[in-house]
Amino acid sequence: MGDITTQRLMFKSPIKWLVINAIAWIIGVLWITPFIGIFMTSIRPFSEVVSGWWTIHPFTVTFENYFEALFNPMFSLYKGLINSLIIAVPSTLIPVFLASLAAYAFARFSLPIKNYLFATILFLMAVPQQMTIIPIFFMLNNMHLLNTYLGLILVHSSWGIPWIIFFLRNYFSLLPVELEEAAKVDGASYRQIYFKIVLPVALPGIVSAAVLQFAWVWNDFFFALMLIFDPDKMVVTQMLPRLKGQYQVDWGLLSAGSVIAMIVPILVYALFNRYYVSGFRGWAMKR
Amino acid sequence: MVVKVKTPLTTKVTFLLPASLLVLTFVVYPIIATIMLSFNINPIPNVNVVGDRKPGLENYVKVLTNFKFINIEGLKSFSFPMGAIIHNIIWIAIHLPLTLITGLLLAILLQNVKGGTIIRSFIFLGMVIPMIVGGLLIQFSFDRDLGVVNLFLKIMGLGFIARSWTIYPDTALFSLILGSVWLWTGFTVTMYSAGLASIPKEVIEAAIVDGADFKTILFKIIIPLLRPVTITVVAMTILWDLKIFDIVYASTQGGPGGASMVLALLMYDFFARLQDYPLSATVAVILTVVTLPVVALWIKATLRGGKT
Amino acid sequence: MAVEVVIENLSKVFPPNVKALENVSFKIKPKEFFVILGPSGSGKTTLLRIIAGLEVPTKGRVIIGDRVVVDAEKGIYVEPKDRNIGMVFQNWALYPHMTAYENIAFPLRIKRLPKDEIDRRVKEVAEALGIIDLLNRKPAHMSGGQQQRVALARALAKQPDVLLLDEPFSNLDARIRVTAREFVREIQKKLGITTILVTHDQADAFAVGDRVMVLRNGVIQQIGKPKELYDEPRNLFVANFIGDPPMNIVKVNTSNEIIHRLDITEHIGSVKQLKYLYIGIRPDEAQAITSREGMLKGYVRLIEYAGSRKYAKVEVTPNITLKVLASEDVEEDTTVDIEVKKVHVFNENGERIKTITY
Repeated sequence: MGDITTQRLMFKSPIKWLVINAIAWIIGVLWITPFIGIFMTSIRPFSEVVSGWWTIHPFTVTFENYFEALFNPMFSLYKGLINSLIIAVPSTLIPVFLASLAAYAFARFSLPIKNYLFATILFLMAVPQQMTIIPIFFMLNNMHLLNTYLGLILVHSSWGIPWIIFFLRNYFSLLPVELEEAAKVDGASYRQIYFKIVLPVALPGIVSAAVLQFAWVWNDFFFALMLIFDPDKMVVTQMLPRLKGQYQVDWGLLSAGSVIAMIVPILVYALFNRYYVSGFRGWAMKR
Repeated sequence: MVVKVKTPLTTKVTFLLPASLLVLTFVVYPIIATIMLSFNINPIPNVNVVGDRKPGLENYVKVLTNFKFINIEGLKSFSFPMGAIIHNIIWIAIHLPLTLITGLLLAILLQNVKGGTIIRSFIFLGMVIPMIVGGLLIQFSFDRDLGVVNLFLKIMGLGFIARSWTIYPDTALFSLILGSVWLWTGFTVTMYSAGLASIPKEVIEAAIVDGADFKTILFKIIIPLLRPVTITVVAMTILWDLKIFDIVYASTQGGPGGASMVLALLMYDFFARLQDYPLSATVAVILTVVTLPVVALWIKATLRGGKT
Repeated sequence: MAVEVVIENLSKVFPPNVKALENVSFKIKPKEFFVILGPSGSGKTTLLRIIAGLEVPTKGRVIIGDRVVVDAEKGIYVEPKDRNIGMVFQNWALYPHMTAYENIAFPLRIKRLPKDEIDRRVKEVAEALGIIDLLNRKPAHMSGGQQQRVALARALAKQPDVLLLDEPFSNLDARIRVTAREFVREIQKKLGITTILVTHDQADAFAVGDRVMVLRNGVIQQIGKPKELYDEPRNLFVANFIGDPPMNIVKVNTSNEIIHRLDITEHIGSVKQLKYLYIGIRPDEAQAITSREGMLKGYVRLIEYAGSRKYAKVEVTPNITLKVLASEDVEEDTTVDIEVKKVHVFNENGERIKTITY
């Protein structure tokens, strides 16, 4: 749908154009008001914002809330960030690598009952986390991996594999097969074809998958909630609700915590925007 | 004898095995084990998770008659709590049409506005952040003193009804649902924007030349052409609504008094608070079964179309 | 060391039941530039892919040099990498993430040749193909003609026994195409490498081929030198497919007066056992004239120019219009004579019976 076309259709006069643009921008600003609010609350003493963060007299900037959240004696978000990173990096690299191999097999090899296998993968993408967690809990307990980084990494890696296979299979099947055939004629083995030709050529797709898997693992709450209990090992999303306090919600602390927890995925989104959006459709399924 | 250009079996195995092993161990087997558990069959070696219960449908009877799952009293008087499954259904009934319509209209609007891409990324932020933060943001925005919702009410002269909407049984669920519309619209807008971009310009131009007005073009051309997108969006939105967990956990914990309890959270409630694992597994199975029709539809559409 | 390539009784059926090749046999001589020519869907690319080992035949075998590389009956199949072939793909299939140098070196690195040997060979072949300046560039920064040379260099760097070219010119502009053909031809002659080229374009085939094989629906129509195909097409398909502008082909009753005018019975004997036959006249082997008598007469409907040449569409009878060369003074809407130099006569099955030269 072309710009000019619908513009001509929707707003026949300049005034109408102006009004529509104004409406769009008002909606846009309203949409991020909660974000503005939580940020305003986080950088000001709580006494200033008790009757609304939009009151700006007085306006004192303080990072006290951030210090308190980052170095909380019980749930230090600083530690939480480190833990999230320790979990999220391997939980991205492992499944992206393993799933890319499987995705290549799906895209290029003839496999028995391929369609059924593929339908199974689609099903596994859609299954709720709740459907797997109880046996995982006891399995990890048996393996002495409960409440460990490794246990959570294994679970996240396995959970990410189906959608990455789905996403990369589509990506691989769109690559020109002649490149691989040329490499075959040039004498390359399957391993060489995969590592020297397919992976480098498919790099944008791999990056998309990695970016989204990282964001997913970082944002996940449920697996961490079920599998990690030690406050020293908790990830940042997991610590956040615990900062709430039992009876009175401390919004100063909580708003700073929220900003800390969401800053990483927002940065990832901003820096890898192109990759984020192109991988987004396959990924949305598993939310 | 037939010769074939075939990939050696060892190559296929090397490519497929590592991923398969992880998925089989930590996804497929746990799914089967959860089903077994829900029928009181102990699936895990070395641990007795079932206790001395007899294999059978006992857990299903228990869950289906549990007032947290479905509350007949609440349903009759239309007052919360009505039970997790009803709450999920209400969630879909409100959230699905709202995000769908908002998403489509915003996608069309933003395509024709200066800086539409920026506004779109504002709206998309809800999809980027951890949902646990999303839940906190909802609670924050519905807060009596700090919340922006009450600010608008005051501006509109409705200040007298201002309150912390998430802590009252009659409004907790609705607040969360509205909040989830705010978070999830980023998804529908993105999907519809991509769909709109793929409609050939000429099709719309031809309609304009034929003298069609905006309403006709919207209903007779744009919406029909966006049908595949709509199918995906509907399927994913329903699934998201059914699986909703983090938002509720972060903001109301299912309360007050179960007024915002949902299926995924009920599963957790039985697991963590009651420590009744078979019962918890049963809720998980019911949750999965409820998603199945939508999942089946989506799988069929995907296999047919080759893409989402 | 040039080798010969032998194709024996090759058939290929794609599931469910698409016959791509039917009992194809031929022999390519050492150092020969052999062209497989056919329209799309003729099975020509399948044939090339079978020779390369990217596809396997349903029946028959392929011998490169003294080695059977595939034999469907005996279950022999040699991997592409072990056939010592070089191949240039239709879109050149250059590895986009590698420079020209790395592309050319790739097959040598796979073979684990020593570094200095690789370097020597890459530079040697780059020199020969005139692409030394391009070696540090990636494919995205090269023109079509340059990419083609790099692809050719990559195929030649490993000094293959056989060079396979799959429509190597089809992605080039018309202008570059002519030079590219000459270039490929020159290199092939210089290196003396057995070469098989697949194309749908007769101009490609005629420009480079020592011999050309015409393929249609998986069946060989004719194999021969370009001139043979042009002068003595074995059947109507070849006659029609080769030559530009295409041959005039008219289906006539044996009683048709054009048969008498062209003295056909005299040349081929009795035609009484035939109901009808086909007469083929190449536009370039007949001329519309006004200055003297010709074998045929007709009315000029249209004049066309193709480069320096002038053609006339002449209505000889209400049902027969021939496109022929026209002498300078021929004009539209006039009556002219046609001087015929050569006529190809085909029987009811479309096979050529005789070519008559006047």
